[in-house]
Amino acid sequence: MDSYSVIFKKPVDYSKALEYQHRLLQARQNDEIPDMVVLLQHKSVITIGNRGRKNYLLKNLDEYKELGIDIYHVERGGDVTYHGPGQWVLYPIMKLGKKNVDSHGYLFNLEEIAIRVLRDFKIKGFRKKNKSGAWTDDGKIAAIGFRLKKWVTFHGMSFNVLDKLNGFQTIVPCGLEGDQITCLEKLIGFNNNMMDEVGNRILYHFANVCDRPLTHYFIDKNIPEFIKKLKPPLN
Amino acid sequence: MALPQELFYTKSHEWISFENGIATIGITDFAQHQLSDLTFVELPDSGQTVSSGDEVAVVESVKAAADVYAPISGDIVEVNNALEDDPEIVNRDAFGEGWIFKINVINESELDELMDADSYQEICPES
Repeated sequence: MDSYSVIFKKPVDYSKALEYQHRLLQARQNDEIPDMVVLLQHKSVITIGNRGRKNYLLKNLDEYKELGIDIYHVERGGDVTYHGPGQWVLYPIMKLGKKNVDSHGYLFNLEEIAIRVLRDFKIKGFRKKNKSGAWTDDGKIAAIGFRLKKWVTFHGMSFNVLDKLNGFQTIVPCGLEGDQITCLEKLIGFNNNMMDEVGNRILYHFANVCDRPLTHYFIDKNIPEFIKKLKPPLN
Repeated sequence: MALPQELFYTKSHEWISFENGIATIGITDFAQHQLSDLTFVELPDSGQTVSSGDEVAVVESVKAAADVYAPISGDIVEVNNALEDDPEIVNRDAFGEGWIFKINVINESELDELMDADSYQEICPES
């Protein structure tokens, strides 16, 4: 079976998406599904990775509650980050080692996807030594944090698109004190189709960089039975 | 990097050397390269009894974390404490000084389940 993507148009609760990832992870480990990738936006949430430091939260729990931002400790690598509407999140569920491109290193490949998306919009993206993710001259635009279980990837990468990710101001993202976070809208201005365009480019470059040609499915459209079966109840 | 021919391998990218009833286990060069520079290795407890397939250790880099599995059943008799201070030993010498833990093997026939270098090479692209 070919690789496929599952695309969510509406923002998804973090806990629901996490449950979905765990189902997919297990299914992939057991070879019940091929390599695949989920593309979605989250409702406002802060996640703290394995070695994440709580002192990078700049507000107290009550204040986060008031802002409507949930907080989760998660099993991925990486530190503190924010997700919310206006940011695409890419969760590849892939068994590493099957393709020659995997030898470039998964982290490298995720960064490469973000850099190529930026190039599509005529923005110079680059890697920074000792700081992962994808960067522009105006700051960090894509963040990475993933986990491997039985060499199947989960968690992944986020890419900031719209200029409404205010939640970043309530944390020290990835523990990067003094570094700016940016988004595509700040760099090239707004247009109505921006989210869709960027989402398409992310999946296009994912397929090329990771050498997993994709069939695309939208979760709220007609999806095949094998996708429906794994889907957690969504809000 | 050429794979050491004398080692056994698993699908989850562990390597195993076996001598005098003791299996020494680490992660392969392919595995360390996927994670990039390691920042932390969560070691198992010495004395712990494990079954083949159990999650035993976690290796982490700045952005990634991966589970390491017991490829064989037995008691963990030694862990590589040097990795606590310098986890990047795994990056520098995955098949040597970067070993992670040792198991006192109960049932040597479990070694037959493991892959040799040629079989592992087939599931692992050249880097």
